[in-house]
Amino acid sequence: MEHIAEIASFVIRIAEPLLALTAIIMAFYSLRAGRRDEHALITLENEADHVIYSVLYWENSIGRSRSSDIRLSDPTVSRDHAVLLRRNDGWFVTDTGSKSGVFVNGEKTVGRHQVAVGDTITCGTTSLVLRRASDTVSTEQRHEKKMFPQGVILSFVTLYTILLILQAVINMGNTDALIPGVVFIAVIWIYYGISRAAFKRLNFELESVAFFLSGTGIILAASHDSRQAYMQLGAMVLGLCIYSFLLWFIEIPDRVMKWNVAISILTLLLLASTLVIGKSVNGAKNWIIIGPLSVQPSEFAKIAYIFVGASTLDVLQTKKSLAAFITVSAASVGCLVLMSDFGTAVIFFVTFLIIAFMRSGDIKTVVLAITAAVLGVLTVLSVKPYIAERFEAWGHVWDYADVAGGYQQVRSLIYSASGGLFGVGLSKGCLQYVFASENDLVFCLMCEEIGCIIALLCALAIGGLMLYARAVTTRSRSTFYSIAACSAGGLLVFQAALNIFGVTDILPLTGVTLPFVSYGGTSMAACWGMLAFIKSADERTYARHKPKQKKISVRTRQKQKYDEDFVEI
Amino acid sequence: MRKTRFRSFPVLMITIAFFAGLIYFIINLAAHSAEWASMPYNGHLSDSGGLETAGMITDRNGVVLAKTENGKRIYNEDEDIRRACLHVVGDNSVNISTAIQTIYRSELSGYNFVLGLGTPDFIKEGADIKLTIDSEVQKAAYLALGDYKGAVMVYNYKTGEIICMVSTPTYDPENVPEDIETNDAYEGAYINRAISAAYPPGSTFKLITASAALEKDKNYANREYDCIGYTEIGGKAINCYSVSGHIDMTGAITDSCNAYFAELTVDLGKDIMQKQAEKMGFNSSWRFDGIETVNSTYDISKADENSFAWSGVGQYTVLESPVNMAIRSSAIANGGKSVTPKLITEISSVFGGAFNHDDSSPSKTMMSRETADTIADMMDYTVENEYGKGYFSKYLDVCAKTGTAEVSDDGLAHAWVTGFTKDEDCPLAFAVVVEHGNSGYQVAIPIAGATLDAVAESFGVN
Repeated sequence: MEHIAEIASFVIRIAEPLLALTAIIMAFYSLRAGRRDEHALITLENEADHVIYSVLYWENSIGRSRSSDIRLSDPTVSRDHAVLLRRNDGWFVTDTGSKSGVFVNGEKTVGRHQVAVGDTITCGTTSLVLRRASDTVSTEQRHEKKMFPQGVILSFVTLYTILLILQAVINMGNTDALIPGVVFIAVIWIYYGISRAAFKRLNFELESVAFFLSGTGIILAASHDSRQAYMQLGAMVLGLCIYSFLLWFIEIPDRVMKWNVAISILTLLLLASTLVIGKSVNGAKNWIIIGPLSVQPSEFAKIAYIFVGASTLDVLQTKKSLAAFITVSAASVGCLVLMSDFGTAVIFFVTFLIIAFMRSGDIKTVVLAITAAVLGVLTVLSVKPYIAERFEAWGHVWDYADVAGGYQQVRSLIYSASGGLFGVGLSKGCLQYVFASENDLVFCLMCEEIGCIIALLCALAIGGLMLYARAVTTRSRSTFYSIAACSAGGLLVFQAALNIFGVTDILPLTGVTLPFVSYGGTSMAACWGMLAFIKSADERTYARHKPKQKKISVRTRQKQKYDEDFVEI
Repeated sequence: MRKTRFRSFPVLMITIAFFAGLIYFIINLAAHSAEWASMPYNGHLSDSGGLETAGMITDRNGVVLAKTENGKRIYNEDEDIRRACLHVVGDNSVNISTAIQTIYRSELSGYNFVLGLGTPDFIKEGADIKLTIDSEVQKAAYLALGDYKGAVMVYNYKTGEIICMVSTPTYDPENVPEDIETNDAYEGAYINRAISAAYPPGSTFKLITASAALEKDKNYANREYDCIGYTEIGGKAINCYSVSGHIDMTGAITDSCNAYFAELTVDLGKDIMQKQAEKMGFNSSWRFDGIETVNSTYDISKADENSFAWSGVGQYTVLESPVNMAIRSSAIANGGKSVTPKLITEISSVFGGAFNHDDSSPSKTMMSRETADTIADMMDYTVENEYGKGYFSKYLDVCAKTGTAEVSDDGLAHAWVTGFTKDEDCPLAFAVVVEHGNSGYQVAIPIAGATLDAVAESFGVN
């Protein structure tokens, strides 16, 4: 009888990774199954030889260049001649600085020009007639892949969280973790209800993954310090609001492009204001303290920064210059270095590389930027040599086991090893007493208390977000979403890498948070902001809801949504 | 948009690198987790942590040295055995860093890769560890050492099994003295002097100088010398304890003639001396069963001629651990090849976890068979003619060399004896050090003899 609690806790610890694994597999399987097949949205017919070009994407480049989406082998066509793009109110063609111009029904176009079925678009000596896809090519769907009902995926996440809460309650012998846990589950389902009823959303795979990560972090916090758990919960609710706002705001990419300059200024203001009125905490001057609240504006600057970088295809093809973006990036990284927040500075820099390359495809810019960064680092090190000392334990932390440079990493490794596959149990660990265990060392804290399987699942889930963002680059509604999603995903993965490999001594310890899991309100809220970019790349997010449809499967409804939503022209 | 997709490949690279890093971490964790978990910094195992369910530690005859009953760690019922085995077995703390209960704390406490230290108590059963030592021999050695500080190391030079490894001062793990940190009598009590301390080897080093010479030219054995009680090298005298007169190498070993070996050292030169010392274990450490020994040091790079001459008789800055001395004696007994000691017979775990401490130092060829046999004969002759076979051991045929090493702090000299037995069914290599024992012959030999006789009795060779 005396062992009942112990047995229960042990069984729960083994069941948790199974549930977590199931939830994650379901979510990503569902994301993959829900991805649109690449079939023609409309077609273009060459008037001369009647060759049919399938228009597969929402934004399509037309030109002589080998990498054009619609490639015309006509010497009078420019390499990047025009962009044919789809918006909610129909199809448009934009001349992107071609030599011979773009003509619609014989009229020369200026700027964005709407086109309809039957219209002739002339580039150089080639004339293309816009046709309905169903009239020219087979649009038959491939075999339907089965998707999991969204409620079931969320239920698995909920069940997993319930087990975590139970374990915390059993191990701690009190109910400290109960209330934050129950509130967390309530938030999930309230969000689900509101999103379905008010915003008519049908897909929650990405949210499920983020809830899995956030929930793990919140219950972990609750089993050590319930005050932190409430903080984290509040931050998640704020994050959900930011997430919903961003999803609304970026629905129309052209609107975002109009706000671009304002957001650039906002990014710099956020960082500059921190530099001026920021307070220094643990060596980095990246906090602004207002009354009882302390926030890290650099976390929000990450979101704004991605806005600045991402862009629609027609803008990209006309305005090739990266100058403005490079200026904003350099200023941002500069501010962060001045704050001594090197972790975030590196994250900004890597995000810059991703965006710069996705916009321009220019290896030269990337090489130049890396060279500049290396020179910058060397300059900083020669001016402030003590910065290098921070990282001197890297690679041989065992020699620094009892001094500042390696103390945390050594404990993290020892306690990760002590946890085995299923952990020693929530609140039963020793790493919790080491400084910054709930944020910088959280990966190893998970390894110790809930086992390395769940810790690895968290890492894999973050990597999965990135893989998904990349998998939908051609399926999203604009290159704006593709670039934003890839850079947001890249940022999350890179940050996770700095966190996980920093504490396990594979990289130097820079003190960044593990996305969604680490304790830190601003970080939590900002991660949900990042998720909005990935979500926006999912074509299904903005599909119109058809209220009159009754009694049809979710799958069919989704299919109809983005097929029928396409305005008849 | 195809272009955009193509240009997203760096992001894919980052993700692949991220996954590769995770795999690297898992491999690292799988390979090192037992080692990491048993680090002394592990809060789960500090103080008596992890001993509540720990397995049993037994000696070679199955005598229980430590076990856990009702969550409490208890040791052998004989206090002398508890004290004698302290440095091998360890106590509830992790203060003795080379003890089995420190190094194997995680295994003893039931650590395994799958469940880590998280195995629930009701199914947890720690691994049992069977050692090669003999508790009765340990006790005999401990009692023979008496109030001296020092160490006794005896091991089988055929199998490597350590039969006896005792270090003093020691204490009772069931009643750890409260003044252990302050009382001078317990100075260095946490150190296993057999493997973690190094002393000037004194005349026992002459065996190394002799082997350096014989390796260079076997005719050195017949080189004759007239000892007048001292010699002058580098403008300063090197004194002997007695005037040996006309001697060859055997005579110089038997009489322990400093002048002979000082001249020989200078004759051989720094290069040869340094190389031979390093071949015989100096300037590196030994590893066995997860235990790492202290380095023995022979550094003559800054020595003047007189100091260099002194180094050849085991003075100057030369330091050697008892374990290294026993190992080099094993090489002399074994025709030139050293045998690495071992302490653990088996670890039996319920989960059968593989405890990867199998990183023992390899056997070393320290000298040729011919040199080894020649030196063995000299040591045999020395015991026969100088110490007396009967004085050494009642049962065994011992070959040995003593040492009396001057110490810099004006105290009495450290006493040494090292050697081996010629008995086929009791092949032992040994080293004994007695701090400030003053005479290898009078103090170290009786301790070595008592220990060897205890082994012989235990092995039934009497």
